[in-house]
Amino acid sequence: MSDAGRFGIDEQPVFVIDQSRCIGCEACVQACMECGTHRGRSLIHLDRIDRAASPQTAPMVCMHCENPTCAQVCPADAIKQTEGGIVQSSLKPRCIGCSNCVLACPFGVPKYMAEIDQMMKCDMCVDRTSEGLKPMCASVCPSEALWFGTIEQFRSRRRGALVRDFLFGRQVVRTKVYTVVDDPTAGPVDVLGVVNTSWIDDPFALEGFL
Amino acid sequence: MACALDGRLTRRLAGGKLAGVRFGAGSKREARRLDQRGLAWGGVGVAIVLAITFFGSDGLLWFDAALIGYLFGTMFMVFGVVYRYAVWVQRPPTAMLNRRGWDSFRQRKAHNLAALPSLVVSQLLVQSFIRRRSRARWLAHQLVFWGCILAALVTFPLTLGLLHFESVGQQADRYQVFVSRIGAVTFDSGSVLGWLTYHVLDVAAILVLAGVFIFLQRRLRDPGALAVERSGDFLALAGLFAVSVTGLFLTVSSHWLGGRFYAALNTLHALTVILGLMYIPFGKLFHIFQRPANLGVAYYKRANAQGPAAPCRRCGIPFASAQQVADVQAILPQLGFDYSDAVGGSHQSTCPGCRRAQVALAQSARVGGFG
Repeated sequence: MSDAGRFGIDEQPVFVIDQSRCIGCEACVQACMECGTHRGRSLIHLDRIDRAASPQTAPMVCMHCENPTCAQVCPADAIKQTEGGIVQSSLKPRCIGCSNCVLACPFGVPKYMAEIDQMMKCDMCVDRTSEGLKPMCASVCPSEALWFGTIEQFRSRRRGALVRDFLFGRQVVRTKVYTVVDDPTAGPVDVLGVVNTSWIDDPFALEGFL
Repeated sequence: MACALDGRLTRRLAGGKLAGVRFGAGSKREARRLDQRGLAWGGVGVAIVLAITFFGSDGLLWFDAALIGYLFGTMFMVFGVVYRYAVWVQRPPTAMLNRRGWDSFRQRKAHNLAALPSLVVSQLLVQSFIRRRSRARWLAHQLVFWGCILAALVTFPLTLGLLHFESVGQQADRYQVFVSRIGAVTFDSGSVLGWLTYHVLDVAAILVLAGVFIFLQRRLRDPGALAVERSGDFLALAGLFAVSVTGLFLTVSSHWLGGRFYAALNTLHALTVILGLMYIPFGKLFHIFQRPANLGVAYYKRANAQGPAAPCRRCGIPFASAQQVADVQAILPQLGFDYSDAVGGSHQSTCPGCRRAQVALAQSARVGGFG
């Protein structure tokens, strides 16, 4: 990476999301609005995981699936993937505002903007990343929950391993965006395999023992 | 550039074995075969054009042979558009939406029929949804849209021999417009109506050019628009520009150059128009034929709003129409996806917010929890 903060043509930076690091500062939400391709609209999600049990927040950007479910269920063929694997917002002339993509995306990412009758979603700040710059959210995230850099940089600076396969029931989804796990040999991130119980339901962690 | 390289690398690493790359390989194989239904409907479309030309021009009596190139361009366009449309409506999500749109329309036929004019005006003619996105883009689109409509209303009937002019009696400066055999408006060549009749395509060209320049100004200056630029965006604008400018050249030649270069300019204009017509089925301008599906979506949404809502299977809060959730779940297996879980439920029965929470919880569980 040069002094000007640009990645060179021979570098291959990747986007890494590690929700466990989120501190809920909302810098990403504000920065997302500055993205040139959707100025004034924040397309990143920042959710409270379980408001009753914890203040924990988690961001979600588009994971840019290799075989995007959103694009496949689009009746207007309005969602396109670039040569670099970025799944773009719907094409303005084509999107007919049906919201199929919103209902089908396994990661819950696309947003239907009712006032303009169009689906919009994170496009990994293609105006910046195509020029070797970091996406807006990754450039401001203080805890590196949202991170953009080369795999070598990640290995030299952070712990954990990168994976980009997710399991939703029987469906494996491979994404362009990576996430962080301790043990990559344990296979894809099993999204439906984690049972979300509140500590209130099981205060002494006895479930499984009794 | 770095991302493009990364995309190619990841595809090579994937080796075509994962579900993620099935889409590309499959579509290439299928692309080699032409769709029989599309071919048949395309043939029907061309036959209808030829029938309209033959009968509308009174057995080719009023067909202008000088416009034969335009007729071939029109036939190619009709075949291409009908073929692509026929293939498009066979895609599982499009077929589902097509079916549901008509079902919703028929549910309350009288009410929906009454709502049709306002929907057509707001969605297709005034395009108010574009105005809410950007006033400049809306103005540009309206200029191009009405310019093209105006030009199409004149040129297609002329090409097919449906429209011709005859002088009235022995008056050399008085003409009557004939639609097929039926006499319509009579006008003096020197009147305002006469001027407009002669120059309607110039007016259309100026409207289109004004719109094209507004579009170009945005596309060349807005970094965000430049970043998501597709080659077809410029090609469509370049085509509209070429057709309009070469058309205006003909007026310039006949009015101010004493007809010099007219034959060459006429050939150039015909070439741009014919190529433009042939481009329509393949490029960005195909949205002209896709966009009316928006009316079906409007009826579908209205019908769904009156039906039951689907509660999220995780948080229990209704998040969408039960009908549409069921429709999406029905489409997914047809597209090769299987989001069913061990107990037979579907991941798409969970609301988008809970899906994001589930992803975050699953990821955090793999790194020893949050924090």
